[in-house]
Amino acid sequence: MKVRVEGLAFSYGAFTLRIPRLTFAEGRVTALVGPNGAGKSTLLKCLASVVPTARGAVLVDGRDLAGLAGRDRARLVGYVPQEPSLTFNFSVLDFVLTGRAAFIPVFSSPARPDVEAALEALRFVGLDGFGDRPVLELSSGERRLVLIARTLAQQPTVLLLDEPTSFLDPRHETEVMELVKRLAADMGKTIVVSLHALDMALKFADDMVFLKGGALVAAGTPDEVLDEALLRAVYDVAMDIRNVDGKRVIVR
Amino acid sequence: MRALVAAALLLAGAAAHGQDRAAVTVVDSLGRTVPVPGRVDRIISLEPEITRILVALGAGERLVGIDYFLRHHDHLFPLVFPKGSSLPLVSNQAQELAVEEAVRLRPDIVFSSPSEFRLAESIERKLDVPVVALASMGRFDGLLGEIRTLGRIVGREERAAALIAYFEETLRSVGRDSPSGRPAESRPSVYLAFWGSLVRTPVSYDPVVAAGGRNSASGLLPDHLGAPGATIPLEKLLVWDPDVILVQGNYPPEDRRVSVGSVLRDPRLASLRAVRSGRVHYTFGYWYWWDPALVLVETVYLSRLLRPGGGPGFDLAAEGDAVFEEFYGVEGAFSALCRILACHEWKTR
Amino acid sequence: MSGRHDSRTAALTVLAVVLPLALLVLALNVGAYRIPPKAVFTTIVGAVFPGAPEAGPSPYADILFRIRLPRLLLALFAGAALAVSGASLQALFRNPLVFEFSLGISHGAAFGAALSLVFLGRSVPPQAAAFVFALVAVLLVVAIAGRSPSQVVTVLLSGVIVSALFQALLSMVEVFADPYALQSLVFWLMGSLGQATWGDLAVTLPVIGAGVAVLVLMRWRLNVLSLGEDEARSLGVDTRRDKVLVIALAALITAAATAVMGVVSWIGLIVPHLVRLAVGADNRKVVPLSAGFGASLLLLADTIARGAAPFEIPVGILTSIVGIPFFIVLLKRSGRVWQ
Repeated sequence: MKVRVEGLAFSYGAFTLRIPRLTFAEGRVTALVGPNGAGKSTLLKCLASVVPTARGAVLVDGRDLAGLAGRDRARLVGYVPQEPSLTFNFSVLDFVLTGRAAFIPVFSSPARPDVEAALEALRFVGLDGFGDRPVLELSSGERRLVLIARTLAQQPTVLLLDEPTSFLDPRHETEVMELVKRLAADMGKTIVVSLHALDMALKFADDMVFLKGGALVAAGTPDEVLDEALLRAVYDVAMDIRNVDGKRVIVR
Repeated sequence: MRALVAAALLLAGAAAHGQDRAAVTVVDSLGRTVPVPGRVDRIISLEPEITRILVALGAGERLVGIDYFLRHHDHLFPLVFPKGSSLPLVSNQAQELAVEEAVRLRPDIVFSSPSEFRLAESIERKLDVPVVALASMGRFDGLLGEIRTLGRIVGREERAAALIAYFEETLRSVGRDSPSGRPAESRPSVYLAFWGSLVRTPVSYDPVVAAGGRNSASGLLPDHLGAPGATIPLEKLLVWDPDVILVQGNYPPEDRRVSVGSVLRDPRLASLRAVRSGRVHYTFGYWYWWDPALVLVETVYLSRLLRPGGGPGFDLAAEGDAVFEEFYGVEGAFSALCRILACHEWKTR
Repeated sequence: MSGRHDSRTAALTVLAVVLPLALLVLALNVGAYRIPPKAVFTTIVGAVFPGAPEAGPSPYADILFRIRLPRLLLALFAGAALAVSGASLQALFRNPLVFEFSLGISHGAAFGAALSLVFLGRSVPPQAAAFVFALVAVLLVVAIAGRSPSQVVTVLLSGVIVSALFQALLSMVEVFADPYALQSLVFWLMGSLGQATWGDLAVTLPVIGAGVAVLVLMRWRLNVLSLGEDEARSLGVDTRRDKVLVIALAALITAAATAVMGVVSWIGLIVPHLVRLAVGADNRKVVPLSAGFGASLLLLADTIARGAAPFEIPVGILTSIVGIPFFIVLLKRSGRVWQ
C-alpha cells in the first residue's frame, strides 16, 4: 500500500520537522538519509504515530492514520525500534508474540494462530529454534532480527525501521538489509528505513529521501537524485561518486 | 461531717503551704532517684492519676498546668476539681510536653507517666526541674505507694496517711463480705475487655482480685515493657471460658467500641459460659490511669457483682458519693459521673 | 530445554493451587484453642453435610467457622491481592522494585481507611475511602516521577515522598481522633488479620476476588505494557486505557485488603520475584502463580504469627522482617542489572 504524507509538521523543542508532500511506494525500500539531527527518526515516529503529529496527515491507501483506532493502525503500520526496550528478560517467542497485540483483546492471551504467526516470523528472519532463548542474552545482530520478526508477526503492510544496522558488523549489516529487501520484493511490503550509512542506502534502497534540519531536500530513485552536489548540500562535506563495475559507490 | 474534716485538712494544708521544709528524695516508678526541693508551689502534671491524687491530697491549688486528656476527655475531673478547667494545657494528645508553655509556667516539679521511658529524662534536661514519673499500673500497692510518695513531695504526709488508711479500711470491709477468702478455684474467673477492644485486657487488675474474682489474663506478659495490658487472640477467650466478662464502661455510651450488648450479640462468643448465663457487665475500669476514689468504688461494686448470686441489681450511689466526698471533699460527684456514664442502664443491658 | 521448563511450570501451577488449600487445612488446626484434628474434620463434615452425625461440642464450630476461617480466608485473599498488584505494577511501570508499598498505595489506603474509621464510624465500609486515597497516592507518585516512571530511583523516591505524606496525614488523623477511637486505630495500623469478621469480609473478599480475576485476565497484556508506552502504542495497544485499568485494579485490591488488616508490606515484592526466578518473566505465568503463592505466603506468615506466641504478633511486622533484607538484596543486584 502506498503511504502519503501531506503537510506534516512536528516540533520538539527548537527542532521542527516539515514535510509538505512525500510518497512511499508499495513493494519498495525507501531509505531516509541525512546527517545527524536531520529528522530521520522523527519522521519515522510520525509515520508510525508513535508521536502525535502537530499538523498534517499520514495516509495509508488514502486512509488517515490519525482517524484509526490503535488496533487498526497497528495492522497497517509496523514500527521497528533500534533496540528492544526490555526491563524483563522475556524469551524470544514471548517477545515476538507481543507483535500480536493488535489482534488480541485486552482480557485475552495469544491463541494457537498467534503462536504460529510468531514462529513463522522467526523462521522468516532465520531465527528458527530461538524461541526459548532470553532476548537479553542474544547478540545485537540477533536482537535486530528479533525486532523485525516481532513486526512481521504484527502483519502490517507498511514497515518502518529505525536504523536497523547501526552498531552491527558488516556481515550482520548485510544480513539485516537483505532481509529488509526481501520483505519488499517478495512480500510486497512498503518499507521505510532510516539509515546512517550512505553506502548501505545506495546498495539496498529502491528510493532515497534526503533530509536536512527537518526539511525535505530531495526524493527519488538514486539514479534520479543522487549526485555530488546533493551530497555536499546535505552533508556539508565533499564526497565523490565513482562507478565500479557498473555500480555507483560513494568515496570520501 | 466528712466535708468539715476535709475543709479542716485543706486549711491545715494552706497553712503548711509556703513554708520551707527540708528537701526530700523520692524513688519513682522508673526506679529513678529524684531529689525534690523542700518547697513545691508550682506543679505541672502530665499524668491524670497523679493530678487526681494531688487534688485529693489538697494540693490541687498548686497545679499550674495539666495534660490534654484531663481537659478534653475526662468526665470525672471537672466534677471533683472544677477549677482545673481553667488551668493551662501543657501537653498535646500524644502526652508530649509543650516545652515553651511549661517554661513560662515556672514549675518547681513536673510529674509524668513512666510508660514513656525517656520522657522524664528529656523533660528534666529541657526544663532543669525535677521530674517524677509515677503510675499504679492497675495495682493497689502501686496506687497507695504513689499517694504516699506524692504526700511526701507536697508535704501532705498526714493527709496521705489518712487516705491510705481509709482506702485500706474500705478494702478490708470489702474482703469481709466478698469471696476473696475462698480457695482460688471456687472464685469466679473474670475476663476484662478494656481499651475499646474485645481482645485487649489488663494483665494485672487488683479490684477483681480484692472483690473475690480471678483475672483470666493474670500472669500474661504485657504487649511491651511498661504496658498495662496484653492483646490476646480471640480464641484465648474461648479457651478461658470465663464466668464473667467485664466491659470497660468508664466513658460515655457513644464512645464505646465494645459494649455489653455487642458482646452478648457476638456470634463468635455465643458458646461462652458468661454469655449464655448473661454475666456480661460493665465496670469502670481504667484507661491508663486510675482515679483513686473511683477504683475504690469499683472494688465495692465488683464485690457485689461477683458474689454468688450477685448481679448489678443494687444502688451504689450513696456509698460512691461518700467515697468521693472522703477523697475530694465534694458532694454527689459519683452520682453525677454515673449520670454521664448512664450507669442506670448497666443493670438492664 | 523447553520441555523441562514446561514441566516445571506445570508443577508450580499445581503447587500454586494445592499449597494454599493445604495450608488452609493445616491452619484450621492451629490456634490457642486445642481442637483435635479428628474433631476439626468431623466439625467441617458436619457443617458441609448437615445430615451427618452430630459434630463436636459447640465451641468447635464457632472457633472454626467464626474465628479461624474468616481470618484464614482474609489471609489467602489479601496475600493474593498484594502479590498480584505487585506483579502487575512492576510490569506496568517496567520497574521490578515498585509494588503497592513503594508506590505509596499502602499508606494512602491506610490513611483513607483511618479517616473513614475515625470520622465516619464503623457503619461506612472503610474500603471506599481506602480506595480513593490509594488512587490519589499512586497518581501523586506518577505525577512526581514525571515522564520517567521506569527509572528505579525516581519512582522509589517519589514513593517515599508520597508515603511520608500519607503517614503524616495519618498522624494528623491520630491527633484529631479521640483517644477511644485512637486505641483501635493504632492496633489496626500495625497490620493484623485477627480482627477479621464475616462483616468485613463481605466487602473485601468479593472486591479482591473480582480485581485479582480481572488482572489475571490481563496477564498477557501486561507483557505488552511492560515494553513501555511508546512501543505498546505502536503495537496497537490503547495504553492510556490499559494503564488506568491496571493502576485502578491494583489500588482497588490493595485498598480492600489494607482497609481490614492494616499495612502489610513486602508480599508484593517478594512473591513476584521468586516466581520470576522460577518460571521467567512471562506474566501469563507470573500473575496467576503470584496469586497462589502470595496467598500461601501470607497465610503461612499469619499462621506462624498465631502459632508461635500466646499473644498476637502483627503479621505486618513478620513480613517486614523477611521483606526488608530481601529488598536490600534486590536493590544491590539491580545496580548491576539495570544500570
